[in-house]
Amino acid sequence: MKKSLAVRLLSVFPALGSGLFLIAMCTMPALAGPPDSPAAKPSPLIGAMQTELDRSFRTLNTQDIPAYFIGYTLTDTQRAEVSGSNGALLSSSEVRNRWLQVAVRTGTYDMDDTHKVGDRQLPTGGPGTVAPVDDDPEVLRRAIWLETDDQYRAAAEALIKIRTSREVKVDTAEGRAPDFSKEQAHKWYGPQVSFLLDRKPWEERVRAYTKGFRESSSILNSIVTFSALAQNTYQVNTEGTQLQFGQIRYRLELFIQGKAADGMDIERYYNFDWVDPKDAPDDKAVATASATLRMEMEGLVKAPINEPTVGPAMLTGRAAAVFFHEVFGHRAEGHRQKDITEGQTFAKKVGEQILPDFLSIVDDTTRKKLGGEDLLGYYQFDDEGVPAQNVTLVDRGVLKNFEMSRSPLVGFPHSNGHGRRQLGATPVSRQGNLIVESNKMVTNVQLRAKLIELIKQQGKSYGLLIDDIAGGFTFTGRGQPQAFQVQPLVVYKVFADGKPDELVRGVDIVGTPLAALTKIVATGDTPEVFNGYCGAESGSVPVSAASPAILTSELEVQKKETSTDRPPILPPPAHDKRSASAPSAAPAVAGGQQ
Amino acid sequence: MKTLFRTVFSAFAVAILLSPAVLRAQATQDNDPSLRALRDEMARSKERLELTIDKSGKPVRPYYIEYRLLDLEVREIVAQFGALVTSTKTRNRFMNVEARVGSYKQDSSNFISDEGFRGFIGSTGSVGIDHDYDSLRQDLWIATDQAFKEAIDGYSRKQAYLNSLARQTDIDDFSKAQTVQLIEPLATPDWSGRTWEQEARDSSATLRAFSLLQESRVTYYLVYATQYLLTSEGTEIRTNRSFAAVEGGLNTLAADGVQLNHYYSAYAPRPADLPNVETVRKGLNVAATELMALRSSQPAQDYTGPVLFEARAAAPLLAEVLAPNLNGARPPIAFRPVMEQFLSNIGGKSDWVGRLGARVLPATVTVMDDPYAKDYKGTPLLGGYSVDEEGVRAEKVTVAENGVLKQLLMSRRPGPDSNQSNGHGRAAFLSDAKPSMSNVIFSSTETVSAADLKKKFLDACKAEKLPYCLVVREMDNPAVSLLHQDDFSELLASFGGGAGNGDRLVSVVYKVYTDGRPDEIVRGARIIGLNARSLRNLSGIGSDDFVYNYMQNQTAGFANTALGAFGSAQNGLPSSIVVPSLLFEELEVRGARGEPKRLPLLPAPPMTAGK
Repeated sequence: MKKSLAVRLLSVFPALGSGLFLIAMCTMPALAGPPDSPAAKPSPLIGAMQTELDRSFRTLNTQDIPAYFIGYTLTDTQRAEVSGSNGALLSSSEVRNRWLQVAVRTGTYDMDDTHKVGDRQLPTGGPGTVAPVDDDPEVLRRAIWLETDDQYRAAAEALIKIRTSREVKVDTAEGRAPDFSKEQAHKWYGPQVSFLLDRKPWEERVRAYTKGFRESSSILNSIVTFSALAQNTYQVNTEGTQLQFGQIRYRLELFIQGKAADGMDIERYYNFDWVDPKDAPDDKAVATASATLRMEMEGLVKAPINEPTVGPAMLTGRAAAVFFHEVFGHRAEGHRQKDITEGQTFAKKVGEQILPDFLSIVDDTTRKKLGGEDLLGYYQFDDEGVPAQNVTLVDRGVLKNFEMSRSPLVGFPHSNGHGRRQLGATPVSRQGNLIVESNKMVTNVQLRAKLIELIKQQGKSYGLLIDDIAGGFTFTGRGQPQAFQVQPLVVYKVFADGKPDELVRGVDIVGTPLAALTKIVATGDTPEVFNGYCGAESGSVPVSAASPAILTSELEVQKKETSTDRPPILPPPAHDKRSASAPSAAPAVAGGQQ
Repeated sequence: MKTLFRTVFSAFAVAILLSPAVLRAQATQDNDPSLRALRDEMARSKERLELTIDKSGKPVRPYYIEYRLLDLEVREIVAQFGALVTSTKTRNRFMNVEARVGSYKQDSSNFISDEGFRGFIGSTGSVGIDHDYDSLRQDLWIATDQAFKEAIDGYSRKQAYLNSLARQTDIDDFSKAQTVQLIEPLATPDWSGRTWEQEARDSSATLRAFSLLQESRVTYYLVYATQYLLTSEGTEIRTNRSFAAVEGGLNTLAADGVQLNHYYSAYAPRPADLPNVETVRKGLNVAATELMALRSSQPAQDYTGPVLFEARAAAPLLAEVLAPNLNGARPPIAFRPVMEQFLSNIGGKSDWVGRLGARVLPATVTVMDDPYAKDYKGTPLLGGYSVDEEGVRAEKVTVAENGVLKQLLMSRRPGPDSNQSNGHGRAAFLSDAKPSMSNVIFSSTETVSAADLKKKFLDACKAEKLPYCLVVREMDNPAVSLLHQDDFSELLASFGGGAGNGDRLVSVVYKVYTDGRPDEIVRGARIIGLNARSLRNLSGIGSDDFVYNYMQNQTAGFANTALGAFGSAQNGLPSSIVVPSLLFEELEVRGARGEPKRLPLLPAPPMTAGK
């Protein structure tokens, strides 16, 4: 039944096929921001890594197939998690571990072992191994030694294959860009971070929050998870980079499941992310969010199914943010313009108008907060050791730039600090803080009035108000239709004749990305932030998307697939009036762990 | 969601139960909220759970419901070369609800279909670790509902499939069993007394002295568990178990680039019984010394002739050979025959089913399986329990007497030779119970001393006019000796197919020369064609019984196959087997094969032996 939400949700992803999934509702930790810290002293770990790096490079750089670049990243993770379900504690633990990742590149910056030839896919599975949490330079060096040898061997073999196949394959224009960008080396030693956390109060809180959900007979299952994550990164490479920095993030997730009478699964989810312990949500804030989730659940299990329609729609800020992340953000990731198996939607559109001219989009990973909310996509250096940057992707509707890793494009020779990955994967260009800015803003009330105007203009009886989107998945691969599908969780019909809004369920947005973007007619005036974890080929990474509410003149929706599993036969035990064995008088043993 | 469940288990690297804790008189009513929740939801489901399927108009009800709840506290500490890698302490509770529709004769179980109902939450999963009545009832409610629907769906699929078969089995699906009520007092884990992290550092540090080792890992794995079992037939059980393990794996590359592995393991009924640091260091040193000897040894040549298994190797050998053969339950019906083929390829078919009363072993040999045995001549045994995973009282089973097959091990799944469980339905991690060994004792009325057996072996070797013959001192357990999942998968790919034909992985093998030259260790040997039939013609049995404590692998598909003996604390079912040295008149041994790897381009960085 309930494992941590992480396993639940992540396990869903592979089923979605290739392509990319934004998942606004992944799991795990939250946002961070090391203080713009004064320089600290380098850890002895950096010294051990540098020593082994120098020793390895001296030999591997002089082989027949020379390594031209080696990089080591050691990530120290401290993670506490407290999870509750249906009124009881599910688990409470703290773990610490270290993960070593080794990058070895053979050949040259222009043509190396990662070069894409035809549709050859990069090998899956990332380079890395566990390393001791004790600071023992000798044992660490041994792990580095073996991993470096493995990675060098793989890189040398890959280069031989590429050289062989290059002779028979025609290079594409996109393939003329170098394989690896030259970047400045950086030296930075920030303080190491860790937290000291008493889990007991959180254990009480997750019990209480999930106990509250049990009061509703519409909620079949609830999981609330608090997590704290401190990560320290140590990085060295043969270009001279030496980095040491850390981040702490906290997250609280609320998740409930229910079922409509026809068997459709209904899930509601909310997350809080914060960096400073004093920004933690209090009981009142959680109660408000919980009450909303519960109310939505109780409404949705009874709500009618919406029929497929095309018409005007308004997306509230958080929903719009996910929409942009899916429809625009993933397609602006640089490496997708290079890979011929990708749709390359925007590859040749730089300098062209792709959005209405009142919209601009930046991806600003240097930004810690927006409107008082912590942004999950903030970091100091990306996973390739490049400093975070503010990148203007779209300026007044015109496409200007891409999110770039160290895999250059023709005309875009450098990284802009978006090379990212989950531990264990190889970095590719990924979103960070995607922020939509508008200069055609009206208040949200006015935006709603405009929606009703549009409904009337188009001769429809109703339009849609989309209040929450769980995230969807985007097929960016060429083999699939260039369509996107995001799953709105809370959708209202808004009627032209002034009837009260009606909650509906079973709505999926469908359509083609470029068309959808051009149909935006106006925006609200308050940016809203969506923090989540986004899954794609380099794993799950923390991201933010922010947008004001948007109004679109045309949105196509279809019916969502439903489950055939009918609601439970018996009523919930706590709501079973016929039950002879009523919940016993003995109080639950709170905190009574044996 | 079952897959998820498995994922969860492996993620937590959760192992399972062991040696039964002290059985006292039934505990007084301690008002355990977990037990009450299980009882109350069972009563409600039994009374009211029913579903009318449109066509028939008659309501379907489960004829059997089973609740299993496993409360696990696990400490896992990993160190390498004296440095701590991870240290975790987790407590989790898992439930597994099973419902059956149909009848004992034919029901929804024993059918492997390629698809089917998967509930949105599932009939298995983790539940709250508080002893909280209300949340557990909520979880059981959903799980029971899902299990019941799964059963209805599975039953109709099974019937459709059976109707398409020309001949159907007349063996029942489920046997009746006496109900058992056994409520042990709740036990409290005892973590006191030892500092496990420091022990892991200190013991693993001894391997720093072996500069030619490439990698090593030492894992301490300590488990306390309480398990509940309730059935709609009236069985109510609450038992406590514990076990503890130290497992060390190490590897090196020979000069020709062939990777060599070795291992050390020690298991105990309770954490406090684990060997101390000095003892573990000694064990690791022996393993590392043997590995170094293997490293500089010659590859083995193909060989046919007498082979002597010293007791230390004979015991794990029989754990591999006997595991599939003692299983008397019929296999499940598979929608796809591929499953059956797979099982038979990895040695999952019993050669002994249908042969009760036939001679299967030398006429002097008796094999017992005794779940009640606590020790063998003072050495603790690990496989004991009083009630099995299906709530059936354990029985001591005489498998073979004077070489004649008497009885097979049975769970509640009937087989061709028996329709009654003898209390051997065992499982780890709440997985499906299968007939599995507990404490197996192999004994003979005619034995000779180790020295005499060696002499007999050498005489046989001379008679064959061979320059040397092979002695096996130790078997490999790749589940512990291999440090990477990739290596294990690679091994299964190359070896798995041979397991069904009796391929056996040996690790420490010596050439013993007939002309008095010193013994010579060889590497890479693999015995082929050694299966249960080979045991009928043993030409000598020693008097030097060896107690081998090990973990039977419970990974789906491996249990009760030749691979079942390759277990580790994370996936294993604690078991013991007692076997003396065994002399085989003729076995075939294949010499070293396999692809050497390239040696690392750089020498290892320095490591000081200290610590």
